[in-house]
Amino acid sequence: MNSKIMDIKKIEVWDGNMAASQAFRQADIDVVAAYPITPSTPVVENYATFEANGYIDGEFVMVESEHAAMSACVGAAAAGGRVATATSSQGFALMVEVLYQAAGMRLPIVLAQVNRALAAPLNVNGDHSDMYLGRDSGWINVSTFSPQEVYDLTLCAFKIAEHLDVRLPVNINQDGFMSSHTAQNIRTLDDKTACDFVGPYKAVNAMLDFSKPVTHGVQTEEDWHFEHKAKQHNAIMRSVKVIDAVFAEFKALTGREYKRVESYGMEDAEIAIVAFGTTYETAKIVVDNLKKEGINAGIIAPRIFRPFPLEELAAQLQNVKAVACLDRSAPGGTVGALYNEIAGALFNSPARPVLSNVIYGLGGRDMTVSVLTGIYKDLVKEAATGKLNGTIQRFVGVRGPELNYYNA
Amino acid sequence: MSKSIKDMGWDELVQGAALFSFEGDVDYEMSQVQPEDRNYAETNSRNAYVGDWRVEKPVFNKDFCIDCQFCWIFCPDTSIIARDKKMIGVDMDHCKGCGICVEVCPTNPKSLLMFNENTDNEEALTQWPEKSEEKGE
Amino acid sequence: MSGNKVIKNLKSFSTAAERFEGSHVLCPGCAHSIIVREILNATNDNLVVSASTGCLEVCTAIYPHTSWDCSWIHIGFENSSTAVAGAEAMNKALRKKGRIGADVPEPKFVAFGGDGATYDIGFQWLSGCFERGHDMMYVCLDNEVYANTGGQRSSATPIGASATTSPAGSTSYGEKQNKKDIIQIMAAHGSPYVAQVAPNKWKDMIKKIHRGFDTKGPVYINAMSACTTEWKFAPHETIEVSDLATDSLVFPLYEIIDGTELNITYRPKNIVPVRDYLGAQPRFKHLFKPEYEYLIKEWQERVDAYWEYLQRREEARV
Repeated sequence: MNSKIMDIKKIEVWDGNMAASQAFRQADIDVVAAYPITPSTPVVENYATFEANGYIDGEFVMVESEHAAMSACVGAAAAGGRVATATSSQGFALMVEVLYQAAGMRLPIVLAQVNRALAAPLNVNGDHSDMYLGRDSGWINVSTFSPQEVYDLTLCAFKIAEHLDVRLPVNINQDGFMSSHTAQNIRTLDDKTACDFVGPYKAVNAMLDFSKPVTHGVQTEEDWHFEHKAKQHNAIMRSVKVIDAVFAEFKALTGREYKRVESYGMEDAEIAIVAFGTTYETAKIVVDNLKKEGINAGIIAPRIFRPFPLEELAAQLQNVKAVACLDRSAPGGTVGALYNEIAGALFNSPARPVLSNVIYGLGGRDMTVSVLTGIYKDLVKEAATGKLNGTIQRFVGVRGPELNYYNA
Repeated sequence: MSKSIKDMGWDELVQGAALFSFEGDVDYEMSQVQPEDRNYAETNSRNAYVGDWRVEKPVFNKDFCIDCQFCWIFCPDTSIIARDKKMIGVDMDHCKGCGICVEVCPTNPKSLLMFNENTDNEEALTQWPEKSEEKGE
Repeated sequence: MSGNKVIKNLKSFSTAAERFEGSHVLCPGCAHSIIVREILNATNDNLVVSASTGCLEVCTAIYPHTSWDCSWIHIGFENSSTAVAGAEAMNKALRKKGRIGADVPEPKFVAFGGDGATYDIGFQWLSGCFERGHDMMYVCLDNEVYANTGGQRSSATPIGASATTSPAGSTSYGEKQNKKDIIQIMAAHGSPYVAQVAPNKWKDMIKKIHRGFDTKGPVYINAMSACTTEWKFAPHETIEVSDLATDSLVFPLYEIIDGTELNITYRPKNIVPVRDYLGAQPRFKHLFKPEYEYLIKEWQERVDAYWEYLQRREEARV
């Protein structure tokens, strides 16, 4: 725990950025190396303010780019201590090279990522194109839906990443502005409880341990590379056990429950939307409204994007007749990633719901109750006919002629 | 480590493809302990062999050596063995036969000369040139 | 035992316990490993070393072998400086927090990068590290070319050199741009110590490495690394070519303290014509055609002018 304790109330009004900053502070990180970018800038600014007021015992390194931020994180993590950073969008894109290296070197770095669209055209608002860009980088990817979840899951992230059975970096995603700049009541933990929950850092193959000189970042060619990538994949696939255990421990401490797949109204749902991020929260309202109308709708969200909860998602969709997979990322010439993954999850299961792909909310375009209601109403028709109401893919909420692709 | 890394599957390798230089813990100051007293890991390149790169090899004739250590400092392959300020010989497992040691040797005649890799060292010593009239460099 | 190794002469230097092992796969006659050995052997301290992607990295950490008897990391082409800076920050943090005891001697943090990594792709990272003032030594292994990938030009490639991406041909004399003056640029960062070294002048080099290790803050060392493969001389000629480089003043040996105070540290007894230096390296052989004679002349004028400039800077003490 940092030597200077911050007096925080049981309930604080924090936005998602402050929630991430406070979780960072309470986790007693050894090195934060960061570079500011909208909308995650306040994560870094808040942390700098904590540091300037004596609340941070670790090192805070303001580097000259996001690539350098992740590079310094890798160097610091390999040296043997707790490390974290924050970024968004273009900054995340600049980091991508080093993201793969962090995961391949099995370094438990935590990244607070505030999701934002990727240019061009330049845009500072929230969509998931940056999250999708990093999805194959070997990081554990967590989707949060509110500032409370950012706080809770950032604390969990250190525990998951640093667990000796995992040792992988974790990316905590939150929606730009919708979560990052939306102040809500946050139920907090005091500094000691939070830091004790995260636990002490356990060094593995640390460069600062001179009793065991170690070489990190080797060259492996065709005779070794495959084995190491296999080992890395096995680690992320097996991390589900640790993720579940950490979530259980967090529930025991706080009463707040997290699952690798979150769902609402799915018990009796005939139609369902699958989506990431804050859309889940909006959809809950729509689901309640529809249930009052007698429509059995549900919302389901992968809390953990990687390792992808394929079996859990398939299990929850077995009794559903129509599903819309919502992707908040320009799909670049195919169906959305989430659609692809849900389709893949269902293909080897008995269920054959009508499956459609909705592209929405690019560049921070609002996902409103009325747009979501419209999507559910389409699902009602599809559930009734057992056929797609049009094409597999469509765009919603965009001005101009309708955009429809792929006939079933 | 009893099992060679070459026989290991993905499950047995060190995560992150990290490599250790030594077996067990180093409880001494690395800068103070010579290689012969270190417990190298299989994964240290000291345990690898590049001697087959050579076409020609340096042969050391201690009769003319003045232990100036030019060969030691300029060897790119950590292959000149110097102990207690004396030149002892060439590490033929790690020498690639570049010939720098011969070039920088200041004695007359030289204390190191290149010979065909297949020449017997004893034989090479019998072929050693006399002191040349020209002043050594 | 910590701190710099006491090196009175080459004999005492040769008692060093090597921390860079053989059977790396650098080319026979490679100067990189001579430079690395001179640096590692100059200190008794524990070392955290990084290397950018390049010859040194690729040839010394090919799985399942490492040639490093110290802590070592490679991330990418551009970020060996920042990798070590991150480790240096972690060392500071863990000491502040008491997780590394005050009785544990401070290690040294050393980053290696080729000229491609230093002058070109990693320049921003290097500049950032120096602006922030990490306590580290950055060593550029300057062989004036992307040697690891087969000899493409870098911004350290000198004018007239034939490189694969600036080849000499029937209508071209090869590289068109003059080499970037990285030493002045690093000194302009306000670095407490910047120096150019050459492994053939080992005494001068060790003095500078010792000074570098004793300096708090970011130290930049530009190490001339004659490349047998891309400069196209025979492997046994590495020291000979290096001598031509330092004695022709193509690679003058000097240091700059606190960004201003310049000292020339080696004055050749007999200054060798630049022509001799160029003539020893087939990468320049096309310059000896009559139509390119003027380039050799210009080169000599450039070297003379720069030597004059260094001397005036030294005299001026500013």
